[in-house]
Amino acid sequence: MATEAKPEKYITTFQQLMEEGRKNGYRLDWLLPRETFGARIDGSAEAGGLLLQDIDRGPFAQIPDWSDNMTGRPRGALTRPNAARVGNYSIRTKADIWLKNASQLYEEAVQRQWSSAIDIPWETMEELPDEIERAECQLATFLTEVEFVAGDVPGKWISETTPDYYEPRMFLISQIMDEARHMDVFRKRAFANGGGLMSQTTNVALSGGAIDSARDFTEMSARLHISGEGLVLSIFRMGERMSYNDAEKAIYRLAASDESRHVAFGVMHLQYLAQTDPRRKEEIHSYLDEIELGLVAGTGGQNPAQRGTPSNAALAILLGGGSDPKSMMEGEQIALAVRQRQVKEYVQRVKVAGLGERFENGRANASLAAYVSA
Amino acid sequence: MVQQHTPPGVRRDQDGTPVPEVPDLSWMDKTLGWGVKARLEPHGGGMTVDALNVGVYSEVPDHIPYRNRLPRGAYPAPGAGSIGGYYLQDKHEQWADSAGHLYEEAISRRWATATDVPWDTAHGLPDDVELAICQLATELSQHASVETEVISGWLQNLSPGYHEVKLFLSTATYDAARMFEGYRKRAMVNGGGMMLESPGGMNRAIMETYAGWSQTVLGMWFVRNSLDTTILRYLAAYGPTEADRVLAARLIPDRMRVSAYAADHIKFAISKKPELAIGFQVWLNGVEIAQARDLRDPVMTEALAIIFGRGVGGMDAGMATVRKIYQEFVKTYLSRCKQANLDRSKQLTPPFQLLLATGSMTPPQRPQA
Repeated sequence: MATEAKPEKYITTFQQLMEEGRKNGYRLDWLLPRETFGARIDGSAEAGGLLLQDIDRGPFAQIPDWSDNMTGRPRGALTRPNAARVGNYSIRTKADIWLKNASQLYEEAVQRQWSSAIDIPWETMEELPDEIERAECQLATFLTEVEFVAGDVPGKWISETTPDYYEPRMFLISQIMDEARHMDVFRKRAFANGGGLMSQTTNVALSGGAIDSARDFTEMSARLHISGEGLVLSIFRMGERMSYNDAEKAIYRLAASDESRHVAFGVMHLQYLAQTDPRRKEEIHSYLDEIELGLVAGTGGQNPAQRGTPSNAALAILLGGGSDPKSMMEGEQIALAVRQRQVKEYVQRVKVAGLGERFENGRANASLAAYVSA
Repeated sequence: MVQQHTPPGVRRDQDGTPVPEVPDLSWMDKTLGWGVKARLEPHGGGMTVDALNVGVYSEVPDHIPYRNRLPRGAYPAPGAGSIGGYYLQDKHEQWADSAGHLYEEAISRRWATATDVPWDTAHGLPDDVELAICQLATELSQHASVETEVISGWLQNLSPGYHEVKLFLSTATYDAARMFEGYRKRAMVNGGGMMLESPGGMNRAIMETYAGWSQTVLGMWFVRNSLDTTILRYLAAYGPTEADRVLAARLIPDRMRVSAYAADHIKFAISKKPELAIGFQVWLNGVEIAQARDLRDPVMTEALAIIFGRGVGGMDAGMATVRKIYQEFVKTYLSRCKQANLDRSKQLTPPFQLLLATGSMTPPQRPQA
């Protein structure tokens, strides 16, 4: 959004300054104070530092419902008539990407960065039984693969979004950083204890093809943040139960902390959209229909607990403590509890997003009820 | 839910799907190499991404035949198919030997503009200097914003088989975002805010790079980043407030990492395909002209002159510093080209020759006859 400069009380001082400068051959026609000039912000350590949300003042805090910014200028900057229209942004409608707390989520992400090299106690790992190590490595291979999805797909949408909506862009950039670290830490896990990488997932849908294909940001976000990352978050939260050493516990704990921000982004965006553009609710419900089908019938993609997959068998081995029939039976029972938890958490997210009517009006997939009531 | 008939002995899941009695464990043997153990770096360096390239996993192939997310070294699934995107499948299109190391370096240098810059020292400047800082902050912020768009847009095209590059570029996007918000905060801390957008010629040169990622690297990190880094160095030394000096000093290592990747990548590309150097030289001609056109616009130059001259009254002295900055910028750029085995010393375009010689885009006036 372009705004006009208003010199007001400074006009005399600046005219004098400009006249002095012009006498010396300078142009200085840009040297004009904006409306908020002189309004100090306390960014001291005592005040908690200077956060992104602290600097929203005057015209710089005005987020347009529709953006005409085609030059990539920072929000609130003055326009140049001769600037090239390089910003062929497909997302220029606020409701398409906005949420209320993106700045907070970004600053939180910045504060909670961690290092897979030194913040994981790799030295605590000891040799594991072969089937356990293979299960760990299969799960790590799966997670390495799907973390590429969660990094590359948001990247595409950042470049498609006008800088007038920089707060969600900033959050998505922090997500790219987080996902790189997840991809990295699970690859490290596969090599840390005498194992190696194992099998790739067997089809494109499992590796996130549906998320790649989304032509609308909210559709993508529903698939990625609400469904894919939500499912993985439920698994990470069960990390204590499938960890065999402190290194694995640390991996799941730290990764869960990151994933919870990503899921929060998706929930808050859906909530904003549902509140500000209710005409799209029916469309969003149709995306949720597909997501629920994936939840119960295994057509979705990113769920390591999905039946019939190597990662699900690996989970059963890890949760049951071995690959013998008795252990795997026990592990599968726990894996079933994981799936129940995934569904319950999904239902709660959709309710928080303001789309909970589907669980009362019969729209939701009927099989969800069995999981929720189990 | 409709209850399904369950024959004796058949277990079913919550939604009625039969659970096989004997799970398929054939995946347990699907590995290209088993029993590989990566070593922790000595002296507290932890587990680094480069340390994973051991045994059968140490080879980084020249070409990745898959357009999906197969982790390098994983057992390929026959039906995995193509996802689309990921069309940069050749190593020379993206690789730098230092990418893994630079990624770990970036991760280890965590900092936050919110709490690591002494913002309470940023107040009290004369109005003209404050406004000049706000103008410069607007332009630096926009440079960084464009960088985030460009890198993040390319990620979907770079093959996951070269994950070290993808990891490093994730940190590069994040670092650019930090520069964007750091200078936005600087512009806002005294209410000055965003001023005039940047001229846009270089933004265009960086964004309109369908020719390839390497061309993006040349424009964004050989040319523009050489200018930005030089400005940051002067701000780190002579910035008008402690906050300005700290912010610039914090950003310099971030900018140096992308410079290192850029030089390393172009050097690698030329080492694999020497003929690429011809196209890179031609490409840089266009980028130099775009950068020169932007510098002919007086706004950023005047802002720098006010900042380093300590006010409008000191602009003549400030211009002397600006000319040094611009000369150092071209020298830095030439040095990076040389590091990449892309010697530009004999091929600089006339505007850059002028900038190198005089530090100005205005030719010296001829003496009156």
